[in-house]
Amino acid sequence: MFHKTELQSGVNLYTRQTAQFKTVSVAIKFTAPLTEETAAARTVLANVLEDSSAQYPTRTKLRQALEELYGAVYYTDTGKRGNEHIFTVYAESVNEEYLRNPEVPVFEQLLTLVTESLFKPNLAGETFDEAIVEREKQTIIDRIGSIYNDKTRYANKRMLELIRSGRPASLSSSGTEQTVSAVTSELLKKTYNQMMNEDTIDIYILGDVDTEQLIDRAQTLFPFAEGTRNSVPAAASNVNKEVSASKHIREKQDMKQGKLNMAYSTPVGFKHPDYPKMQMMNGVLGGFAHSKLFINVREKESLAYYCSSSYASHYGLLYIMSGIDAEQEEKTASLIDQQVDALRNGDISDLEIQQTLALLSNSIRSSFDSAKGQIEIYDQYKLLDENFTSDKLIEKWERVTKEDIQEMAALLTKEITYLLSGREAMNHE
Amino acid sequence: MNKIHFDQLQETLYHQKLDNGLNVYVLPKEGFSKTYVTFTTKYGSVDRTFIPRGGKELITVPDGIAHFLEHKMFEKEDGDVFQQFSQNAAAANAFTSFTRTSYLFSSTSELYENTKTLLDFVQQPYFTEKTVEKEKGIIAQEITMYDDQADWRQYFGTIENLFENHPVRIDIAGTVETIQDITAEHLYECYETFYHPSNMVFFAVGNVDPEEMLKFVEQDQQAKSFDSPEPVVRSFPSEPDYAAQKRSELYMDVSKPKLMIGTKCRNTDMSGKEMLIRELASDVTLDILFGRSSDFFTKAYNEGLIDESFSYEFNLENGFGFAAIGSDTEKPEELEKLIKSVFENAKNNWSIKEEQLERIRKKRIGLFMRALNSPEYIANQFTHYNFNEMNLFDVVPVLEGLTTDQLKSAFENLYYEGGQTTMIIYPSEKSE
Repeated sequence: MFHKTELQSGVNLYTRQTAQFKTVSVAIKFTAPLTEETAAARTVLANVLEDSSAQYPTRTKLRQALEELYGAVYYTDTGKRGNEHIFTVYAESVNEEYLRNPEVPVFEQLLTLVTESLFKPNLAGETFDEAIVEREKQTIIDRIGSIYNDKTRYANKRMLELIRSGRPASLSSSGTEQTVSAVTSELLKKTYNQMMNEDTIDIYILGDVDTEQLIDRAQTLFPFAEGTRNSVPAAASNVNKEVSASKHIREKQDMKQGKLNMAYSTPVGFKHPDYPKMQMMNGVLGGFAHSKLFINVREKESLAYYCSSSYASHYGLLYIMSGIDAEQEEKTASLIDQQVDALRNGDISDLEIQQTLALLSNSIRSSFDSAKGQIEIYDQYKLLDENFTSDKLIEKWERVTKEDIQEMAALLTKEITYLLSGREAMNHE
Repeated sequence: MNKIHFDQLQETLYHQKLDNGLNVYVLPKEGFSKTYVTFTTKYGSVDRTFIPRGGKELITVPDGIAHFLEHKMFEKEDGDVFQQFSQNAAAANAFTSFTRTSYLFSSTSELYENTKTLLDFVQQPYFTEKTVEKEKGIIAQEITMYDDQADWRQYFGTIENLFENHPVRIDIAGTVETIQDITAEHLYECYETFYHPSNMVFFAVGNVDPEEMLKFVEQDQQAKSFDSPEPVVRSFPSEPDYAAQKRSELYMDVSKPKLMIGTKCRNTDMSGKEMLIRELASDVTLDILFGRSSDFFTKAYNEGLIDESFSYEFNLENGFGFAAIGSDTEKPEELEKLIKSVFENAKNNWSIKEEQLERIRKKRIGLFMRALNSPEYIANQFTHYNFNEMNLFDVVPVLEGLTTDQLKSAFENLYYEGGQTTMIIYPSEKSE
């Protein structure tokens, strides 16, 4: 799908010429090891780079320039994948072909704006502007704090902290309030230099553009310094060896619904050969509206509006999440356990397997219908196979048998049952 | 069959109105794997008082019924429709808004099997007292989930403050109490009134052969029998221009206070091109006043009055409209003052310049083009516009023709004396 060009060791350009979209997209991904400190500094840096550049030294000027480019999109973001921290610059503009008399080559100018923001940032002397840094630190602190307002996300975050404290699975890709507060403009400059000179970098360009010509100009467009860029070493085993018995934790907040979540660990991670089998098992259990959790917890017993499972393959974890009346905790938990047991006992119909295969296939094929989907899916799966296609993955799912699913379910170890619920429910204890 | 080609956009839309009144639209998209198909009725939460099909008198049904009906359409005598979609590799869903109920699927194979499932399940209601009762527990959990979401509570709290009588002020899903009154009989009554093909639109976009699809839907509809089309008679209470309540407060378990300013639209009995101009002119005006390149944004962001949660939106339907502007903020009172001063200043010293309009015009044209990458956007937005006799593909020409006078006139209907409300959510400790 993407054509790979190595610009230097650790810096790769991936291009794809396609007329599917009315826009041209570019993404630049910087990868480094994940720690609380680097996550904080890199996330503040992401916001500071998005704010302004030497060419457009205020937020307003930069935003106006993007508006003049027919509402071109330009943003930075940070995320994580296993023990890697990924800093992404993303930009997209309309292909000029669809505009009536554009005065300027829109994508060309956007590309200039993006590379200038990266290579010629808005510096005040040797470091970044103090006022901008402080403002963006506050923005990140607010972003971290706002997770508290979304009880579904908050419950999952708390649960992960309880079982994987201080480890990549529970670390936020934005850092913590403390680590963000500790960021200084000097640290930011150091982080910036490290990112530009030591990170591995993947650049994606996708759309109806002359990719040959872009490849020829790539060294000039992206003049990253030659250096030693090492990939992040693979994480140690995902399995928590200290686990003896499954935890059961209840916490309270001022809220109405009960959030009943569970987490299971599995030795099968993203790079494990059984990864496709685990995806199928998760689908039969709780990935879809035909899955056991939806049918039994929602449709048959009316206990929840949502009850689903998701497989966090980069952390060797599987989560179950549901929103229930807290009074129904025991009943729901035992019903969820029964669904996992059913899989372990091989109570799996051919229909369930067929439906899960069908929807997994539909989902991966559909994700290629957006530019961002193509970039993100490929960026992940290229770790397994540089010539990745959805058909190759679908073939692997097709080979998964009932016995495989049974075996995958048997590998799940429950680590925690977590209930976040309202204060009224507390009085009953 | 009508074939409409949009030269600048390089898109071709196929349309046919069937004998039973159903409007069928197909938009093929080159290079896409999936087909996104929606089947939508012009029936939403605001349609609570109407003359039922075959009846003579107006009736008022329990709150939350359109949404309840949407849930119940998926259950049939022989089981759940999701099972069938899954078997044919389609991801199915549905949603209910103020004015629409939409059923949809997305698939990369078995297009016609899935289309058949969609048409059949929406056109073959099956409600019993037992299945209706069973759904009440599920929907009660859905409502409770939203009750814990501060953003949702604030948005609907703002609308409730703005409107005195119009049913847009009622939660789309109703409340845990109101849904208890819903019966199978109610569901049939609403179904018969609003799910006639002449009150519906079918839209397929993506990997699809337009002629084949039009023929498939036509044959399917010809094989089914329907009563003759009848116009739906709805009744809405009269609604004053002023906001029903000037402010309200709520205490919730949030990390930081949240402010929202709502402003109510007047003169909203409109449709077609006039409405599209009003909508886009309002959007562009708000963008100039509050967008990321505005003086307001620069000041509010630099002074720490707003954060990344800041947003503004404009909504217009026949009979009601409003704008909502909000952010999480440590200083809700100061932010409220600043937002109001921006509005007041625009009202008293209208000074939007040609160059500002030009820049935002470009931005909006670009964003629209980008949105056309999304089959979901095309189908949903087209249907929304279609129910108000607007055409999605007029967006670019209307944007190209927008004048500062049109902006001013849209603003005068959006901001006027007495049409505003303030809704603040404070962290709960403050109440103790």
